[in-house]
Amino acid sequence: MTIDYNELKKGGFLRQKQKDQFVLRLRTLGGNLTGEQLRQIADLAERYGKGYVHLTTRMGAEIPWIDIKDYDAIRKEVKELGLRTGTCGPRIRTVVACPGNEICQHGIMNSRVNATHLDENFFGREVPMKTKLAVSGCPNSCAKPQENDIGFVGVVEPVLREDKCISCGLCEKTCKVGAITIVDQKPQIDENKCLYDGNCIASCPVDAWEAGRKGFDAYAGGKIGRLPQLGVKVARFVPEEEVVVTVEKILKAFTNLGDKGERIANTINRVGVEAFIAGMGE
Amino acid sequence: MTIAVKTSLDVTGDVCPITFVKTKLKLEELQAGEVLEVFLNGGEPIQNVPRSVKGEGHKILEVTEVEAGKFRLLIERA
Repeated sequence: MTIDYNELKKGGFLRQKQKDQFVLRLRTLGGNLTGEQLRQIADLAERYGKGYVHLTTRMGAEIPWIDIKDYDAIRKEVKELGLRTGTCGPRIRTVVACPGNEICQHGIMNSRVNATHLDENFFGREVPMKTKLAVSGCPNSCAKPQENDIGFVGVVEPVLREDKCISCGLCEKTCKVGAITIVDQKPQIDENKCLYDGNCIASCPVDAWEAGRKGFDAYAGGKIGRLPQLGVKVARFVPEEEVVVTVEKILKAFTNLGDKGERIANTINRVGVEAFIAGMGE
Repeated sequence: MTIAVKTSLDVTGDVCPITFVKTKLKLEELQAGEVLEVFLNGGEPIQNVPRSVKGEGHKILEVTEVEAGKFRLLIERA
């Protein structure tokens, strides 16, 4: 039989260095699997592989040591079970995410839901070069969005209700970047220093700091690989309902400005971030 | 108005997250409405303890810097 390796890669089958041995790459939605899915994956690994699963850096689960003769059988089972396969090559890859505001006390935005929307809209799409997406619920950036081609960081804008403020100075002391100073008994915020992590809002004893705008800062051009670099901010306070369209804009700039073989990082390095951002609006 | 302090706790010798754990356990010994006095250091403890206390629904009544880098919190148990 002839093997179309590219077609296999698209469907999450990666060739091992050993002859006729393959890895089945499964993806998750922001790193979440149900107990049932975990049991199904374990069962597949025991029946088709060597009984172990490799957890990938992109929150996927890979079953190595699948013989090519079992390709049709395991593919059929995966489809019937509704497990999601990963991908490879010049496509939108598995979206990674932190636990987000459903679980984490620092979380500002819902990482799981937004990662799921991104998966539904973009996963597997053919793009000029591999493009990785990540969602973090707050500026702690645990999902490493700045290391991805496109990353989102949950942010919240603190708004002062002066009438409520008791001038205790706690916000000045709790701000991790020194963005708040007490002037004439009232806190003043330096917007250039503020990380929009909401620490002042969470700490204020009398709720004088209230949550204003909430959304995501969008980063583009992060990558690891042999020449790693961090992404740069290309949009601020993107509301939840505009996350998908923001990715479309970034992909449009990448498609129009990118040279062959470039990842978003290389395109931004070559054309400059201003030109890239301009390209998102055209 | 003087706030009646029920009991006092010093976590200036502890690091996070023990600072919050000790504060939480001490608060659990109190009745609703009673006030705990906590002494804690600046830096991580003052960044973390008040927000965690507030997150658990308790009320911070007062924050004072008693000396450089050392704070006194008054917390009313929820």
